[in-house]
Amino acid sequence: MQTILLMILQVVVIVLVAPLFDGMARKLRAKLQSKQGSDIFQTYRDIIKLFKRGRTVPECSHWVFRWAPFFLFATSAAILAAIPITYNQNMGYGAYSDIFVIIYLGALLRFVFGAASMDSGNPFAATGGGREQMLGVYVEPVMIMCLIVVMLAAGTSNLVTIQELVKTGAIGYQIPSFAVASIAFLWCMYVETGRKPFDLAEAEQELQEGLLGEYAGSDLGLVQAALILKQFAMIGLFLTIFEPWNFNNPILALIIFVLKAGVFYVAAVFIDNFGPRFRMTSSMRKNALAALAISFIALTLYVVGA
Amino acid sequence: MITVYMLFVVSAIASMCLYYASKLAVKVGFGLSALSCFYAMYHFVNNMGVSDSFVLGGNFLYAPNFALTPLGNFFSFVVVFIGFASSIYGMSYAEEYIKKANVGVFASLFSTFILSMLLVISANNVFCFIVLWELMTLISSFLILVNDGKGTLRAVMIYLGIAQVGAFCITCGLLIIAYYAKSAEFSEWVNFSMPFTASVVTFALFLVGFGSKAGMWPFHVWLPLAHPAAPSNVSALMSGVMIKVALFTLVKFTLFLPLSTYFGLTILLLGAASSLFGVLYALCQHDYKALLAYHSVENIGIILLGLGTGIYGIAASNPTLAAIGFLAGCYHVVNHAIFKGLLFLCAGSVLHATHTRDMDVLGGLAKKMPWTSIGMFIGIMGIAALPPVNGFVSEWLTYQGMLQGAMGDGVIVRYSFTLAVVALALTGVLVGMHLKLYAVIFAGTPRDKKIWDNAKESPIGMVLGMVILMIGCVGFGIGANVIVDYIMQAVNSITVSGYDASLGSTAIVSPMGSYVSTPLIAIVLGSTMILPFVILAVMKANRTTPRETDPWACGFKYSSRMQMTGGPFTGDLRKIMDWLFKGHKKVVSHGYFSPVEYHNHPQDIWWGLIYNPIIEWCKKIADKIGIVQSGYTNVYALYILIYLCAILAIGYFLV
Repeated sequence: MQTILLMILQVVVIVLVAPLFDGMARKLRAKLQSKQGSDIFQTYRDIIKLFKRGRTVPECSHWVFRWAPFFLFATSAAILAAIPITYNQNMGYGAYSDIFVIIYLGALLRFVFGAASMDSGNPFAATGGGREQMLGVYVEPVMIMCLIVVMLAAGTSNLVTIQELVKTGAIGYQIPSFAVASIAFLWCMYVETGRKPFDLAEAEQELQEGLLGEYAGSDLGLVQAALILKQFAMIGLFLTIFEPWNFNNPILALIIFVLKAGVFYVAAVFIDNFGPRFRMTSSMRKNALAALAISFIALTLYVVGA
Repeated sequence: MITVYMLFVVSAIASMCLYYASKLAVKVGFGLSALSCFYAMYHFVNNMGVSDSFVLGGNFLYAPNFALTPLGNFFSFVVVFIGFASSIYGMSYAEEYIKKANVGVFASLFSTFILSMLLVISANNVFCFIVLWELMTLISSFLILVNDGKGTLRAVMIYLGIAQVGAFCITCGLLIIAYYAKSAEFSEWVNFSMPFTASVVTFALFLVGFGSKAGMWPFHVWLPLAHPAAPSNVSALMSGVMIKVALFTLVKFTLFLPLSTYFGLTILLLGAASSLFGVLYALCQHDYKALLAYHSVENIGIILLGLGTGIYGIAASNPTLAAIGFLAGCYHVVNHAIFKGLLFLCAGSVLHATHTRDMDVLGGLAKKMPWTSIGMFIGIMGIAALPPVNGFVSEWLTYQGMLQGAMGDGVIVRYSFTLAVVALALTGVLVGMHLKLYAVIFAGTPRDKKIWDNAKESPIGMVLGMVILMIGCVGFGIGANVIVDYIMQAVNSITVSGYDASLGSTAIVSPMGSYVSTPLIAIVLGSTMILPFVILAVMKANRTTPRETDPWACGFKYSSRMQMTGGPFTGDLRKIMDWLFKGHKKVVSHGYFSPVEYHNHPQDIWWGLIYNPIIEWCKKIADKIGIVQSGYTNVYALYILIYLCAILAIGYFLV
């Protein structure tokens, strides 16, 4: 029971803090492009404003589209709850905090996204939805190869235990396969956060945030909040496995986690800003192949016993 | 056990008696088979861990006996569970066939089909098994023919052809074992010795034989032809259950052999290939029933991953690994039976309402057919292994089993297992793309107004059939803890290990020590679902009724033709996988003002690579042999005489 409360606590805190880091990232991006930029609280204001606005929905859509914002938010929050931040001492909650649970909740998120984008009837939204699925095809094998290495080294898929093992140094960067896997996983993490080089929807005016094309008002606000949450969750997954150093006290751990994740989140702006744009079928594949190769090296290192 | 079988015989005969009363045959025939299935479910659940046998009364050439092991009980349960749902579905669905075919015969064949599968599972000697196996094939091909449509005959011929090759291999394999065991009774096949080469040959024969029936790659070509051609409740049985019977027999007979660890690895790699190729071909289908058939290939692959792990575990004398492998495989067997059954029933319901199998002309049906749409949604969630629906649990167990295997020693073993994990993950994410199955049919705007206007929700019987399986989908997901206990009874009959898969009252645990609790996932998802409402309330959000508009089309007038169809949704993937699909691209343009036609039909390259050459070769041989068949009876008599003499000579001098 206590752990469920802690789960709720960490979700709520991150929900409250995440827009601040988004605002900081926007400010930094503006500065890098020699623009003035809005202040760091702009994302809060955007979301509040969206909540006040009225909504439109396409006539043809049914419950999948109309309920998708709630599903998306709930799923992102559930992924976030699965990351052992405040309950990093409580091995008992491996029953929820399992690597496969996180991966398949991510798949659920992508699934609802795609279904809603098709349901909107908007051609651009559906294109975005299709690309989102394709992105999953690029990322998933790389991600799972890195995670296999970690899981096999730890001998479990229980995230709380893995975190504890890395923290105590039982497994870690001294294992070559683990070290190489962390590189490829970093790539996956940035792709999953949907930053620009990997966010292929951001090409034309109408494709911008393509799959959200038909949402308006509070629906749009919820979806955007859900996406920011998902980005935090993905960074959180990386931190939990590869950089788990943190306090044991739940409150302190949460503060440190938010700071660590925030730094990663804001730093992503550099990739965002200086990286080129890719086309889905050609350059992206080359890009993904490089990551795939790295993760394959990690796997091979494990297989030969290093 | 004998009462269960008798019930099916009675219901088959009773439906046959209604030859001239079609209307009655729909209700009574399928009703009786539903009742028999219900009783059978009750029986098999209660006697899951019990072995049972009986000897058929009367004296044929010998007295055939039938026996059920706990594993057999489990598979029998799967058969009758899907049989139950599709019989209830059939009580409304078969009305469509009153004009097309004789429903009495249809219902009778349906009961006999279920019975034949049950008997194949329990057959206890070589002769009996082969006869029943062929009977199962024949009855299912008759059932495909009930739907006498375009291309049905071709599908049946290919199905029978491949089944024939398969049955030939199975017979050879079984005879080889029978020779070394010096008995044709399966119960006497214990502790016989067999040279290793013979064991390898037998295993290869079984792989071809049972693999072809199970739809394992590369013997899968009949599935996408036969399943769409059959009536939907029959497709549900064929795809959900019949191919599982082949898997059961594959495991049963492989375990008689002296095992090598490479047997397990072979099954594992074939499973990985099946799952990947199956899902890739499924992605580019436009016929939704063919799409589901290709999905069976994929899921057979996933089941084989589990069973392969199990067989590897037994060969490596690692009972824990064997237990988790078989547990994962069996769990996915029942899960796949449920969600694939559900998807086929839903597909049947869509077909019933729209009379088209091309998904690209449908769209927006969710408003007309709410139950079917929910069924399809849950089914796809199951097949995509999304928590908390059932597919997730079995995939989780499969992952755990393979990870356990990957911790073993030896580079080949580790590579096989880890790459199989990657294949499974890739399959998982590709299946996610199959939301297009839901989205193109049920979401968005109608593409063909006339079809949409005529569509309506299916009658109550069909909905009831779907609802049973929907409950199954969710129940087998959330109640994983209980199900695992039942399946472990069956698994423990294969190999006894100290591994107990259920932990506490809600969680399931793998031998590695990772555990997961599906009720907890459901609870967390449920409670996070409250969050957005809290936020909306706290922020005093504007929740006035939304304005309904046309979708935004960049300022142009919206037309439903702008909407995404199934093809372009997976277009990027098709582009990068073109080496596998070898699509025929064709663009036809009829002047500036008429729409341009795009054709891009992917093809199953394995047909061209493996099957076509063989068929051509057989035709050529047949032409050459034709000279021998002159048409004179005298000459034929001469052949027979020569043959007899030759046999006598061989018998006298050689043996």
